[in-house]
Amino acid sequence: MPDIETIERVKEIDVDKYKYGFETIIESDTAPKGLSEEVIRFISAKKEEPEWMLEQRLDAYARWQKMDEPDWAKVSYPKIDFQDIYFYSAPKGQTGPKSLDEVDPELLRTYEKLGIPLKEQELLAGVRKHDEPSTLDEDAGPSYASGKVAVDAVFDSVSVVTTFKKELAKSGVIFCSISEAIREHPDLVKKYLFSVVPQGDNYYAALNSAVFTDGSFVFIPEGVRCPMELSTYFRINAENTGQFERTLIIAEKGSYVSYLEGCTAPMRDDNQLHAAVVELVAMEDAEIKYSTVQNWYPGDKDGKGGIYNFVTKRADCRGDNSKVSWTQVETGSAVTWKYPSCILRGDNSVGEFYSIAISNGYQQVDSGTKMIHLGKNTSSRIISKGIAAGNSDNTYRGLVTTHKKAKGARNFTQCDSLLIGDQCGAHTVPYIESKTRTATFEHEATTSKISDDMMFYCQSRGLDEEEAVALVVNGFVRDVLQQLPMEFMAETQKLIGISLEGSVG
Amino acid sequence: MTVTLVKTPAETAYTDAFDPQGALANVRKSAFAQFVETGLPHRRMEDWKWTDLRQLMSSPLPPVSGTIASADTIDALITASPFGEVARARLVFVDGAYDADRSSLPATGDVEFASLGSDDLPEWVSDKLVAGSTDPIAALNLAYMSDGAGLRVKAGSSMDAPIELLFVTTAEQAATYTTRNVIVLEEGASATLIETHIGGTGEYVHNSVTQLHIADNARLDRVKVQEEGLEAIHLSNTDVHLAASVHLKDFTLTIGGRATRQQGFITFAGEHSESHVSGAFLLTGKQHNDTRLVIDHAVPNCLSRELFKCVMDQAARGVFQGKAIVRRDAQKTDGNQSSHALLLSDDAEFDAKPELEIYADDVVCGHGATSGDLDENQMFYLRARGISETEAKSMLIGAFAAEAFDDVESDAIRDVLGGLAEGWLARRKAG
Repeated sequence: MPDIETIERVKEIDVDKYKYGFETIIESDTAPKGLSEEVIRFISAKKEEPEWMLEQRLDAYARWQKMDEPDWAKVSYPKIDFQDIYFYSAPKGQTGPKSLDEVDPELLRTYEKLGIPLKEQELLAGVRKHDEPSTLDEDAGPSYASGKVAVDAVFDSVSVVTTFKKELAKSGVIFCSISEAIREHPDLVKKYLFSVVPQGDNYYAALNSAVFTDGSFVFIPEGVRCPMELSTYFRINAENTGQFERTLIIAEKGSYVSYLEGCTAPMRDDNQLHAAVVELVAMEDAEIKYSTVQNWYPGDKDGKGGIYNFVTKRADCRGDNSKVSWTQVETGSAVTWKYPSCILRGDNSVGEFYSIAISNGYQQVDSGTKMIHLGKNTSSRIISKGIAAGNSDNTYRGLVTTHKKAKGARNFTQCDSLLIGDQCGAHTVPYIESKTRTATFEHEATTSKISDDMMFYCQSRGLDEEEAVALVVNGFVRDVLQQLPMEFMAETQKLIGISLEGSVG
Repeated sequence: MTVTLVKTPAETAYTDAFDPQGALANVRKSAFAQFVETGLPHRRMEDWKWTDLRQLMSSPLPPVSGTIASADTIDALITASPFGEVARARLVFVDGAYDADRSSLPATGDVEFASLGSDDLPEWVSDKLVAGSTDPIAALNLAYMSDGAGLRVKAGSSMDAPIELLFVTTAEQAATYTTRNVIVLEEGASATLIETHIGGTGEYVHNSVTQLHIADNARLDRVKVQEEGLEAIHLSNTDVHLAASVHLKDFTLTIGGRATRQQGFITFAGEHSESHVSGAFLLTGKQHNDTRLVIDHAVPNCLSRELFKCVMDQAARGVFQGKAIVRRDAQKTDGNQSSHALLLSDDAEFDAKPELEIYADDVVCGHGATSGDLDENQMFYLRARGISETEAKSMLIGAFAAEAFDDVESDAIRDVLGGLAEGWLARRKAG
């Protein structure tokens, strides 16, 4: 009986075999457990921050204390004990290595295990051939400039190594850790940090504003097309460490940047909290493309463990004709709460959101976007593909709204859900607010399963059940996959296959 | 009883007037206790985020039943019902009380009628009056319900001649009128039901609940027309319970009311049933209409369709919230919902929240929502054929709205609805 086979396979569901589950043992330089003004002062001092930054943090902390944890998302998890979390943990002796040679070899091995070693990354990106010298050396020549990926690797809370920095600097691009930016470029940081996501924006953003330890800072000067894809790999490692990343990207007039963010996490039992904030600012004619592949530990087959991922991502299309495009592939985390948004303030500005969210096991995903149309002739496009399997719940939650003055605003939304198995749930909660006659909004949503006809067709041509499912699912998400930069596409296709293994229903 | 939540004058008025008597006293008490838990719904409650009753009901509107209006006023409102020619039987309720003299009961013995205002309710009505709805407005209705129609269509009988339930509110008093209908279709029965709400020009609240209990193989066509006075607040709840192999068609036309909140809760309790729910809003001035539908597919093999066409002119605001739930076992569900809005003015607004909550995998569900102005190409096409701009607009708006009642079974009823839409367009043209 095929049904019984299926049940057997579901039992062996893949979440238990998390490919990236291992731990690296490195001594941590850790702040005392829990959250208090002292801890915030400790973090700020550790980061050698100026006084104004500390004040902002303390202000955020004061706001956070007055806020309630949001409960409107369709996720449930035990109450988080914020006094049982380490808010700062830095791999010892890793404060600012100059090159890969200075990096703890243990870290490099971790990346290797993840399948994303920095040097391998060069090869993937076609930066050098096997017999060529590594361009990670600081004197990389300009002849290698095209098709490169600059990596700002984040290991726990401290930026471990930043590559290609020198070359980027030649075009005036600043790409460094946010801590460094606070020290080196205080004017820029002062001007833009908290300008898109203010300290008191929401519960998790306030928490992040108080305790953020690291993240990336990108500044693209006027008229510059960033010569390479910028990329960050996030890792959560030390036990009981919250990860509070803060990313700020500023694209000046007429500039372009593509930023990639990818993450995996080691296997463990304790739930881990991740509350990141990403702020994007696009000035006139600027374009930012932000891509994420999120593959944190989703918990084991019984729903034990896994990462809590509460993220605030927001882009401000401040200038006319600016454009921001969010692309995300969400396959990991036990609980995801994430709504990358665009404030379309400039006339003719464009916001895009492309999302693939796959949930399996006992994962809970509540994700979507907000498109806030303020300027004239602004347009937005939302393509969301949710795939639920196992015992998971997968929710799309989105808002599209126009201001009265947003004449000629346009939105197109398509959210499709695919259910695999009869113990999962797929939900769609879109909010649409149209406040002017000339705005045109279109919203479409469908939910279905992989039809028996499709399966029969594929299987009668010699594909086995899993291959057939992978084929159909890859077709289902194709619209979004195509939005990913080349570097991520191959990786993501594999990831989709891995995430859905054993879930045929 | 102790009342803990009293905040607005309107809430205070409801609390002060509460003094349940008679056979239903206990039911009313528990329903009122439920209402008191939340008080009047406000925008911080998710389902009411676009309709804040605390704000809309700023003054006390105490519950009242029975009229103080003159016979002429009442008769004028009754003749305003567009279904005078179409309805074969008519049950009239004036200011929340049954008016036997102005009503004409169905001539056949296949339909049983009971006034819910009577002290001695038949069991088939009283056993349907139970507290437990989670909606505060439905709870408030049960607590204060003064009258309404109990109708039972007997097994196997066919009542295709339309029966009209006509609710007239004279608006002589700034008060709340509360009515409730209990409609029972027994096995294999079929019926056509019209529900009309007409009101005078003063301020009032009409809180109306209709319970539909439809047994196996029964069929119901229901049409509701809401033409309350332009100062009125119309609150309505329709609770529908569908057994197996039922066929339901339900259409609501909303023209009247300053603020309207209409909710429909449809539960599929038997397999192979179908429900087609549609509606049209024709709003202007500062009118506000919030329609919320919850379709609960609790069993497999059912089909649901919703289609809403919303026209908003001037500073009117339309809201459509539709939620389809497909429970774990409700395999082979086919659910589809669409809402389309036409904004005719820069100040008009349309908000939509089409929701899907799906726990079964072998289903086909979807929704669509659009909002925008009239299509320029269509306008150009008509103008190029020598049709004036105003006329062309009217034609397009009329056609847009008519799609929602295109599949109303009865030709006569469909004609009446078309006439109402035309009347609205004529008033719009006249400015």
